[in-house]
Parts: sequence; structure tokens; C-alpha cells
Amino acid sequence: MASSLEQFVNNVRTSSASGNFRELCDTIAKSEEVLQRNSAHLTTVLETLDVQQHSLGVLAVLVAKFSLPQGNNDVDKSTMFQQIHDFINNCNGEQVRFCPELYADLCHLLTDHLVELKQPIRGIEILKKAIRKIQLFDSQLTSIHADLCQLCLLSKCMKPALEFLDTDVTGIGFELGGANDSKHFLLYYYYGGMIYTAMKNYDRALYFFEVVVTVPAMVVSHIMLEAYKKYILVSLILHGKILLMPKYTSQVVYRFLKPLSLAYHELGTTQHAAIKHRETFVRDKNMGLVNQVLSSMYKKNIQRLTKTFLTLSLSDVASRVLLSGPTQAETYIEEGEIYAMINQKDGMVVFLDSPEKYASPETLCVLEQQMAACTKLHQYIQEMDEQIQVNPQYVKKSAGSHDEDMPATSQNSKTTYTM
Amino acid sequence: MITNFDKLCSDLEKQELEAPNGVASTSTYAQLLAIYLYQNDLCNAKFLWKRIPQTITSSNPELTAIWAVGQKLWKKNLGATYIALAAYTWTEPVANIIRALEEKVRERAFNLIGRSYNSISIDTVVSMTGLSCEAVQQICRERKWELQADGVTINPTPPTQPAPLHTSSEDQLFKLTEFVSFLEN
Repeated sequence: MASSLEQFVNNVRTSSASGNFRELCDTIAKSEEVLQRNSAHLTTVLETLDVQQHSLGVLAVLVAKFSLPQGNNDVDKSTMFQQIHDFINNCNGEQVRFCPELYADLCHLLTDHLVELKQPIRGIEILKKAIRKIQLFDSQLTSIHADLCQLCLLSKCMKPALEFLDTDVTGIGFELGGANDSKHFLLYYYYGGMIYTAMKNYDRALYFFEVVVTVPAMVVSHIMLEAYKKYILVSLILHGKILLMPKYTSQVVYRFLKPLSLAYHELGTTQHAAIKHRETFVRDKNMGLVNQVLSSMYKKNIQRLTKTFLTLSLSDVASRVLLSGPTQAETYIEEGEIYAMINQKDGMVVFLDSPEKYASPETLCVLEQQMAACTKLHQYIQEMDEQIQVNPQYVKKSAGSHDEDMPATSQNSKTTYTM
Repeated sequence: MITNFDKLCSDLEKQELEAPNGVASTSTYAQLLAIYLYQNDLCNAKFLWKRIPQTITSSNPELTAIWAVGQKLWKKNLGATYIALAAYTWTEPVANIIRALEEKVRERAFNLIGRSYNSISIDTVVSMTGLSCEAVQQICRERKWELQADGVTINPTPPTQPAPLHTSSEDQLFKLTEFVSFLEN
């Protein structure tokens, strides 16, 4: 065995034994090249390490082993799933938390591998476990979340992702924040929005797409563009119009995303756009959503009728919203989102006000839940505020004179200028 | 008869996720599909149908028959749903779930009629519930829906809301205290 490799094993053993994990992380980062170069011996190295005691070392070897380029004969990918599966099940959570990037990398590798094998459903259970193991608390977002959502979408098995998506994020894992790229953050919200759209939970889907589009940005990414298109479609399905973006949306979004999604904006003003821009919609794989936008228009039209009329004959309803006949109008009213009573004998519809009087115990219950949610939110904001107040960087910046701020801003404008 | 379908549902979901090579047994798929329909979770039913490998769906007529029911439910075509339910002789353990499903669909249909009609012809009720004319009249009497003198028009009344959950005054006082203490601080 090569001596540098031997040294690596020794380092792992001594550092793990003395509990010097932070130091070990540095060693691992430096020995990445050594591991890659000695790919033939990695299996032997694995045998000398214990999953529980030397979790970090095993992690580094596994990542090095499976990230070797295709066509390298030293790695046998057939055991990859099993090995990563065993590692995630048995590794020491405390230890791997010292090096979350590497842990996330391993999960990304597994995801890519399963996507390649076209067996995405196999990874769902193990990634759920992987997330729970690395999380410090339930509402912490890690970059593995995006992988889970991707596998769920690909395998058309969305339900397992919902328990993660339904938890509002209050913290971000170390490997996602800071100077690291925002790809996995954007992907999580984009995939999440798609899952909610598939489950017809449009309200939540709209929120997820909004998060993607409103991420502070200097340049736009493709993920943002696709999310913006879907934001428009979901907004049309849910509200019948394109909702305005919040004020804190980055300027680049207005400047670049709008011209790139003109076809979608046109759909908001006229239904003929669906036929005119059919090619664009099919190419973007959004045709299904466009069709749903069109059918939701009927419902919106009937809802508009309730604002003007008290009673209307079924055939009038049909002709005003361009349905084929009275029976079709009946089915729309049955769906329950419109408060109306059908009198089949006279062929009349009586539109009613919402029967909700806001005086029932259920309303009180909803109100109580909303109030509790607001209280909780306030608490989170206060905690975050406190954290920022004691952040050394913040203190330094706010205590420093204004002169220091000046070069920073001028530098900013320079970058935009060159762009 | 199993009544706790939620428990069975999560068991079956787990079986599917842990299946080697990602393909579960036919009976797992069939039961899960039927349960999703019973829960009126049509989105999940649709995606389950889409992800079952084609070799299984083409060789198993029962699965196809279950999804035929699902399609009718998706299109909100109640009349055709009952026909699809009756068109296949179900085998256990699916038959059990299908029976519960049929009852549930009928129950929903009656509630829907109560909510959205104040006069309806008996023929429409028959097609929406898949029952015989006599059975419909019987249920209408039970629900105190009037049959008019012409013998074909029914005047349904809205279904009664279930009794509101009663919260103890102590509990309410507790919530109120929390709320006020939040506002004060």
C-alpha cells in the first residue's frame, strides 16, 4: 500500500481516538488528492476502518471512491447502493456533523447513481434517514432535501417528501449557507413547488415558487426562470390573474425573467395565447399546467356570475361561460367552491352568499391556530434578531464609520456596470 | 373486516419504498391503489398508477379494474363509477376495501345533493348514487327529504353539520392568557 495512504489511515485512527475531529476534517480536505490517486487500494483502506469509530474517515474514502470518473475500472458501482446504505445507517451522527459538505456530497452521488440506474424510488427511504441523521432540528434545511425531492418527483412517489415540505424552514444547514452556491437551495424550493403542484396544493406551490424567484440575486439562473414560468401558471390557476411580485424581488428578475417568459404573460390576458404559443409551452413541458389554467377559467367565470346575479337559469349560466350545455354547468356548480342551489324542476340556479357566518366554534379554532402561528413567528424573528445583534461582523459593520461603507457600494455598482 | 385503512395504508407505503429493486408485489400495489381511492386521494392514486411497472399492470386485470374506477372518480362521473365498481368480481383483500369505497362514494353523493340542490328529479339521484329507485326512496325517507306530489321531484335538505367539538373553558382560558401575555410583552 502506498505510504501516503498509510499515513492517511494512521491520521484517521489517531485523530478519531483522541476526538480531534475538527483537525481530522482539515486532514481529509488535504488528502482528497491522495485518495483519488490510489483508487485501486480504497477497498482495502475501507476494511481497516470502523464505520462507527472512524465515520469521517470512511466517509472521505467512500466519497473519493464513488466520485471517480466513469470508466475507471477500480470501482465497482454495483455495491455502491449497499455500501452507502450501510454507511448512513451505521455512521456516527456526531462525527459526520463536523463535515456536512462531504456527507451531502455522498448523498448527491447516491442520487445521481440512482437516477442513472432509473430506480429513484429505492433512494427515498435512505435519504429520509440521512436527512434526519444530519439535522440538528426538524426545521433545518440541508442540501440533501433537494435530492429527496428530485427522487420523489422522478419516481412519481410524492407522498414521502411532504412531511419535509410541510415543515417550514427556520434554519439552514452549514453546507447550504455562507459562501456556497445556492443551487441546492433553489432546487429544493423548485422541486417542492412542483410536488405541491402535482398534489394540487396550489397555495403552497405558489409560495414555493415565490421563494425561488425572490432569492436575492445579482444574476438569474435557469432554475429561477423555470420557477418564474410556473409561478405565473399556478397564480393563474389559483387566482385567475398574475399576482404581483413582492417588493423585495431582485431587480434582475424584472429585467431578465419577464422578457424571457412573454408567452406566459400573454396567457394572463388572452386565452388564445395557449394556441399561439403552444410550441413554447410544449418545449417547456408546461402544457399540462396551461390546460389546467384554461379549465380553471370556467370556474372563475361562474364565480364572477355570482357577483352580478341572484338567480339565473342553467342554460344562461352555460351560455355566459361558453359551456356546451346545462348539464355541464350543473357539474361545475356541484364542486362546492361556488355557493349555489340548483332547482332542477324550474331549471334555475340561486346564488347564495357564503354560508360561513364566522361565528362557529370551527372559526374560533382556526383563529386560535392562526394566532398561535403568528406568536411563534414573532418568537423566531426575535431570536434571529438577537443572533444578528451579537454577530461580530454585524457589530463591526454597524459600529464602523460610514466611510467604510462607501467603497463597498461603489464596488457593487462597478460589478453591475461590467455586467 | 379491517376498518383502520390509514394504518394499512402507511404499512403498504413502507412496503413499496423498501421493496428490493423498487418494485413491490402486485397485491401491495392493488391494495394501496384501492385505499387511495377510498381516501379520495386521487392525486396520489394517479401517481401510483403511473409508477407501477407496465409489466405488472398489463398482466393483472384487477389493477386495471381498480384504476378504471379511479378514472371515473377523477372525471367526477358518478354514474359511471358505480358501473365500473360492479363490472369486476373483486378478490380479497381488495374486495374489502372496494366495498368500503362504494359506501363512501355514495355517502358523498348524498351529501353533495343535499348541499347543491333544492329540487332534483329522482332519476338524477338514482344515477348519482347507483341505487335502485326503491332504495333511493327509502333513503330519502330516512333523511326526511320530501318527495313531491308528482312522484319524480325530490326536495333535499342540506346535511346537518356534525356536532361542534366542545373545548373546555379552562382550555380556552389558557389560550386567552397566552395570547394576552404575548400582546403585553
